Order: sequence, then C-alpha cells, then structure tokens
Amino acid sequence: MYRYDAFDQRFIDERVAQYREQTERYLAGELTDDQFLQLRLRNGLYIQRLAPMLRIAVPYGTLSSEQLRALADITRRYDKGYGHLTTRQNVQINWPALEVVPDILADLAKVRMHAIQTSGSCIRNVTTDQFAGVAADEHVDARPYCEIVRQWSTQHPEFDWLPRKFKISFNGADADRAAIHVHDIGIRAHREGDGILFDFLVGGGLGRTPAIGSVIRTGLPEEHLLTYLEAIMRVYNRYGRRDNKYKARIKILVRAMTPETFRAQVDAEWEQLRDGPSTLTRAEIDRVVACFEPPPYAPRDDQPALLAEQRLAAPRFNAWMRHNVAAHKVPGHAVATLSTKLTGVPPGDVSDVQMDAVADWADAFGFGELRIGHEQNFVLPDVPQEHLFELWQRADALGLGAANLGLLTDIVCCPGGDFCSLANAKSIPVAEAIQREFDDYDYLHDLGPIDLNISGCMNACGHHHVGHIGILGVDKKGAEFYQIALGGNAGDDASLAKILGPSFSRDEVTGVIGKILEVYLDQRIDEEPFLHCVRRVGIAPFKERVYAKAG
Amino acid sequence: MPKLVKDLRVVADPWTLVGAEGDHDSERMPERAILPFEDWLEKRAWPAGATRTGVWVEGDAEAEVVGPHAAELPLIAVHFPAFADGRGLSLGTLLRTRYDFAGELRAYGDILPDLAQYLHRSGFDAFVVPDARSAEVAIASVRSITDHYQASVRQPIPAFRRR
Repeated sequence: MYRYDAFDQRFIDERVAQYREQTERYLAGELTDDQFLQLRLRNGLYIQRLAPMLRIAVPYGTLSSEQLRALADITRRYDKGYGHLTTRQNVQINWPALEVVPDILADLAKVRMHAIQTSGSCIRNVTTDQFAGVAADEHVDARPYCEIVRQWSTQHPEFDWLPRKFKISFNGADADRAAIHVHDIGIRAHREGDGILFDFLVGGGLGRTPAIGSVIRTGLPEEHLLTYLEAIMRVYNRYGRRDNKYKARIKILVRAMTPETFRAQVDAEWEQLRDGPSTLTRAEIDRVVACFEPPPYAPRDDQPALLAEQRLAAPRFNAWMRHNVAAHKVPGHAVATLSTKLTGVPPGDVSDVQMDAVADWADAFGFGELRIGHEQNFVLPDVPQEHLFELWQRADALGLGAANLGLLTDIVCCPGGDFCSLANAKSIPVAEAIQREFDDYDYLHDLGPIDLNISGCMNACGHHHVGHIGILGVDKKGAEFYQIALGGNAGDDASLAKILGPSFSRDEVTGVIGKILEVYLDQRIDEEPFLHCVRRVGIAPFKERVYAKAG
Repeated sequence: MPKLVKDLRVVADPWTLVGAEGDHDSERMPERAILPFEDWLEKRAWPAGATRTGVWVEGDAEAEVVGPHAAELPLIAVHFPAFADGRGLSLGTLLRTRYDFAGELRAYGDILPDLAQYLHRSGFDAFVVPDARSAEVAIASVRSITDHYQASVRQPIPAFRRR
C-alpha cells in the first residue's frame, strides 16, 4: 500500500481543518446553502432524502485492515453501525450529522483516509482492477499510477471547478475489471521492454447519455502521464459545456468536437507541456512503485488435492470456490471475493461487525490488506489455499459467504429512492425481490454469468447501461416504473444495453426477468453465456415474450 | 462594501471598472480605467483623462486572443460569472505561464472567499470580494494549506521534485 509521509499527512490534516472552518462558517450563517453545497461536495458530503450521506474515499479500492476497523468504528460512533460499498470502490455512510462531519474526517485522517473529491464537479477517486497486484492475467500493477494521479488531482489549482464530475480508471490486465471504456478517461497500461506505456480512452461514461470512450492516444511513455492528463483536463475545463448539466460531461465535448479534433487540441496543448517540470521523474515513479512491492509471500505449493477433498465434502464450498475464488500469480495462494449480495440485505451494505471480521481475516489470511471491487464486494487478495475453507466457513457464518459472484443475484445496485434524493424510484427492493425469486443455486449456476445492474435514476450510479440486464427506475406521473434493457457489458468488449420497450411497475419486474431468462434458456446454444446469446439473437425474441398479450 | 485583496492584503482600489461600450461617459474618464477588452483593442488608447488602461474579460475569453497583448497591459481583470465556473482559472494559468503576463491579474464577480486559494495558485494576485469579512476569510484560505502536490503558477515545481 501507499505509505504516507509527513507531506501527505500534513496535507490531509490541513484539509480537515479547512473543512471544519467552512462548516463553522456555514453554521454561523456566513455561507448560503448553495455556497456551502459546493464546499461540502468537495469533501464528499451530500444532503440526502433522510439525512446527510458522507462518501469516504478508498483510493483505487485498496484498504488496510487498520483502516477498515477505523471505518467500522466510525459507523458505530457516528452512524447506525453499517456502511455501503459503492460502485466506484468507495465507502458511504448514510446518517452522519452535518455538525460532526469534521470530527469524522479528523478520525479518518488518523488512519490516512479522507473524503476529498468524492463528489462535486472535480476529479473523483481514481479506480482500478480490484485484483491489481495479484491477478494472474496482469501486465502492469496500475496502483502506483493511480496513486500518482490521486496526488496530482488533489486540490488541483485549475481543475477543481470543472463543468461536471470527472472519473479516471486504469487497467493493467488482460481482462478489464475496471470498466475503462465507460470512464471520462480510461487508461490501459501495458509493458514494452523495460518501459510502461499508456493508451488513453476519453469520453466514455454512463448517466443520461451513455457512451464508449474513444482512443485518443496509444503508447504514451509513463513519464508523460501527468502532462498528458493536464492537456486533456485543460481542453475540457475551457470548452466543456457549462450551460446544461446534462451536456457537461467530457463525452459530450468529445462527440461535439469529434474525437479527431479533440485529439488534435489535446496534442497541441500537450506540445506546450511535454518535458516540463510535471514530467514524472524515475525517482518519483520508483518511490511510489516501491510502496506496492509484493508482500513477503512464504513459499507455498498449490493445494489441488486438499481443495478437491474439501469441495467434494461441502457442495456450498465447492460453489463458492467456483465463483468467488480467482487465480493468484503466486503459487499456493488465491484471491477470494466476499459477496455482500445476501438476499434481504441491500447490495453493498456491510455492518460494523462484518467490517471488523473482514479486517481480522485480512490479517489472518493475508498481509492485512484488502480491496473493494466496483461490484460492491470485498476482496481478500492473498489467501493461502489451505486456509480457503476456513475463511469460507467464517465468512458464511457472517453472511459474507454467498457463492454468487458474477451470477444473477450478484446485483450491482445504487442506494436508490430509499436514500438518494436524486432517485426517481427505489432500487433496493427490486434487487431484493429478484434475489428472493431466483434463490435456487443450481438454477443460478445453470444460467451462468449474468450481470444485473439497477439504477434508481438516469445518473446511473448502478451502471445499468453496462448490465447484461439493466434496470432503470423512471418516474411516470409520480409513480415508480422500471425500464429494462439487455446486452450491456462493462468489460473489454464493452457495449451499452438496448431498451426492451415500455417500462414496468415494480410488481411486474421479477416476472419480466423470469421471462427473459426463459427466452435465454430456450435460445442458447450449448454453453453460450447470456450476453453472447443476446448479442446473437438480438432483443426481438425477448421483446416478443415479455410483451406478449396474456391468453 | 467590496474589498480588493492584492498580494494577500486589503488595499484601496486605484482602478475603476468601466462597463461595455455605451455604458460610460468618455468625458469623465477615471485616471485608471479597466476597459472591456474589445473596446481597448479597437481604440488602443482611451479618450482624454485616462492615463492608464487595463482590460476586463469574461472567464471564457480565449487566452490565445488576449495573451498576445499581455506585455502592453498593466492589468487584466477576469470576470467569474459564478464561483464554481473554473474557466477563469485556466485563463489565468495560461496568461501567466504561456504569455508571461506580469501585470495585475484580478478576479472579480461571484468570488467566494474559498475560491481564493485556487485563484492565488492559478496566478491571480488580486481579487475583489464582497466585504471585509470575506477578505479576511479569503486571505486565510490561501494560507490554510502549507504545500500542495502538483505544480501551479505560484510553485512551478511539483512536490515530487521537492520531496
């Protein structure tokens, strides 16, 4: 993990004091609601339907066990004893009082955490693969570059008041687990000889106008990372639309200019900046990379015989191994994902007890480090294979052992109308109804990988556009309805889901999902996954069945 | 009563902002006038009375249009229509770094005191705030963070080269 030095610590301590002073001025009536809104957003504080919501940054989803325990403690002391893992690898708490937020931030700063730029029209938390550093298919561990960008983007003098929010994501593996095609900037890191190169995709995004990013630069040597980002941000800050918040994201600018013109403008700007003082030095890259050196793995052998025996003896463990455990690049180890998608619990919600337990397991079965993935689950990156069974038993006892990773019930879901003032409709009850209806493991397993994503409004926090099945809450004359779309995907071959047709009432949604799954089972050839089937046959057969007149 | 903060001190403002053309009386021109950039550009010098002229521009003005005149101008004032509109920050940065503007770079309009730290780091040495209390807060805001990570107009060397 990145290790704070005195510089980093002083910065976040001073930032807490700065925010405390801003809060005091607001409470004293010196700032209007609108003025304070912009200041609190830059520190992650929303005022929600029921109470404030504080979004705490988890840079690129990496946490230490100490930090997770501190979060558990904060939910106990300032909140209702639970937190929520977000689709951008952060943690939210839903009930903090505005007056005590500076105290919460001060507590966070003690464990080198903050809420800086987790909301507002600025550069947000930089995200990456939740398996970074341990994935068997990885070429470049992107975390050091995420950290370099985090530092560069923190209270940037020029780019903290952008037309709209701005999200950057890195991927350094074969599979894209970081959704780089649907970020404002998606960066693909790869290796050539001794050097690391970056490809830049710009203008992807979800929200009201979903778009896949355009490649504007390939093979940029690593030392130019910050100057090239500066060039992109300057073009966006100057020319991105500010007259209409729905047309203010960079994707609209790139589309309006055309990617070719946008690229030419960025290149012209970059020519002025390249090789300037913000060019990364070898010493700085090495300093940050050194923080992410692999931990001291004890020599271990793979344990196929032991695991086979345990899997045979415990079918539920077998299912968990199949879906929730990924290959590790070091022999004898595995990457385990602890699902928060237990039926009856809002996706991503975790209690203080669960957080403390996950922290303990990160210590006992690893090196005290863990991750949060954008699918709203915990990841333990370094589990010795001989401890997998014990970990699963303990996780299962605390409701974190569901074997549904990547399956229909591993639903990605925003907080929706139960909590969020932007939402048109509730999303959590829809997720729960689907999880209750489709609870048979054999059936889920037979269906295979299906990403079902739910957003309560077109801001798309639940990433519905890139769900194999996407559900969007809409408002129809004051009533909650749900639009269903098929065929989206967030991975390498990213695509946007196509809307089936008219929306449904909440009661109808589960039945419609059932019909969609029937069509899939009728249409699929051999082991063809759901997404491939939808791509092959198109949405017509689904539409026909779903909208067929009764009788 | 608006206050001018210059070099992090509250000072009397020797300049008078003149509105768009037709909005002023050229017979009674202040000695130091801040003129609309287009007016200044067309007339180069202002009618009798004005000994020195600066210009004002909107935050979305093109640095490429204003910048080439930087050496001729003692003052450029940038209007912020809303404090959350960061275009003026890019304009300030470009005027200072690409066009080597060395005169007074002033921000005015909807200036929230908390914006001062960004203005200061983007090359503004002057800003107009609504009252004395705002001036006090603005100055404190600039000093609230000892050092930042990235390069700025004030500190062109990023922290990683100084760590």
